[in-house]
Amino acid sequence: MTRQPPVPPRGARSQRTRSSSQLRGWLRHHRAMGADSARRLLRQPLGSLLTMLAIAIALVLPAALWLMLDSARLLDAELDDSATLTAYLEPRVAEGEAGRIAEAVAAQSGVAGTRLITAAEGMAEFQQALGLSDALARLDGNPLPASIVVTPDDPAPAAVRQLARSLEALAGVAEVRLDLAWLERLRHLAELGRRVALALGVLFGLGVLLVVGNTIRLAVESRRQEIEVVMLIGATHAFVRRPFLYSGAWYGLGGGLLAWALLALGNQWLATPVRALAASYGASFTLPQLGLPGSATLLICSTLLGWLGAWIAVGRHLAGIRPR
Amino acid sequence: MIVFEHVGKRYGGRFEALANLDFRVRRGEMVFLTGHSGAGKSSLLRLIMCLERPSRGRILVAGHDLARLHPSQVPFYRRQVGVVFQDHQLLFDRSVFHNVALPLEIRGMAPREAARRARAALDKVGLLHRERALPIELSGGEQQRVGIARAVVNKPALLLADEPTGNLDPQLSADIMALFEDFNRIGTTVMIASHDLALIARLRHRTLRLREGRLVADEEAA
Repeated sequence: MTRQPPVPPRGARSQRTRSSSQLRGWLRHHRAMGADSARRLLRQPLGSLLTMLAIAIALVLPAALWLMLDSARLLDAELDDSATLTAYLEPRVAEGEAGRIAEAVAAQSGVAGTRLITAAEGMAEFQQALGLSDALARLDGNPLPASIVVTPDDPAPAAVRQLARSLEALAGVAEVRLDLAWLERLRHLAELGRRVALALGVLFGLGVLLVVGNTIRLAVESRRQEIEVVMLIGATHAFVRRPFLYSGAWYGLGGGLLAWALLALGNQWLATPVRALAASYGASFTLPQLGLPGSATLLICSTLLGWLGAWIAVGRHLAGIRPR
Repeated sequence: MIVFEHVGKRYGGRFEALANLDFRVRRGEMVFLTGHSGAGKSSLLRLIMCLERPSRGRILVAGHDLARLHPSQVPFYRRQVGVVFQDHQLLFDRSVFHNVALPLEIRGMAPREAARRARAALDKVGLLHRERALPIELSGGEQQRVGIARAVVNKPALLLADEPTGNLDPQLSADIMALFEDFNRIGTTVMIASHDLALIARLRHRTLRLREGRLVADEEAA
């Protein structure tokens, strides 16, 4: 049982119903303007399509570059696993002794695995790789030393260098070569690419803002009389801005969808030659796909950019429109 | 309802549109504002609508000190003032009904309630049968009545009109004025700027006369 208070809190209640009906009215206006701005876009299909295409083209380049870098990152991760050191033994070390050194190396901390390549095996690999069997056969003896390929536990460059130093201290080891230099070069290259992609992304994002901003500016201009009238009878700036923000968001979303389609088309277009190229290197490499998270990111970013461009354009113009 | 205290308005530093205006309009009054064109009638109405701010003095409307009104509050203030414009200011791409319902849409009123009130307002000005028409299909007098319906649909306490009979023949003008008197009878404060002196003389309401931006006469109804 609840007892009614003697005096119902009329003020508070009416305040609450008013704010909830205001919220409903606000949501209703959002729905109405979302639909209305979509209709306005569809009423001029060619113009809208051209604007969206301009947005799409501005988005495709940075998105494609980003995709490429993403696949480079994947490649990088794979290469991390293959980061190895090669310890070359002194030429005078006999085969039996080489085996013992290999065991000593394997016993070192930070070593995940070792593989001994005897002088003869080294020669065979060399011949096969270079196809110079005739020339090498003419040599007097085998000039190659035996070597031990070491796979480190931790592929981080600092850890690998540390390991190299401790291996070099072992008796019978002449020299330890790191296969890091080119890996680092690749990493620097990837970092460079990432920065270029980011800069391009920012530039082309600005381009999208300008395209949407200009389109919305024209829309505001063409509806100037309507804006003046609704402001005369008590419309807030938010009310006036709303349909244009939705237009901007629709342009952005449309541009994002077109960019997505262009990327998919480009992927199809390039897939065959890329596969053939990769096959010629004896590798299998497929072009990276956007996937679900990538597609969602692209669409959300493009929609937000469109919305933001509209916001800037309308904000600039509302300041200039005063009811007469 | 309306209080002007030593109000002056200059444009561009030199031209003095209004000078030292001092008057009060009580709640529920009906007041005419007369004077030649350029006497400052429109400037005065623009000040009350908060379209412009006075250069000097203080204006109180329904308890609001207009000088203290923050720009973000101005839209909410305007919703309390119904305005009929000489050039109607209708939207020509939407129907009569939607023009009248526009202030309610701006307020965020539920469509059913808004439709009911818009129809009631249209009925009051005798245009309910034209609700689906576009404003361009209406005569000047009918367009003015749509403007009036839109001004009163919010049930404002204050109704302003700037030359509402500017381009109408005498009979239509009398009809329009009769409409304003109807709204005044149910308690709305009405202020009408007009230079139709013959019509004003016949209607017998308080009249504020402006000349070159100054209040030269304040005549109570005879």
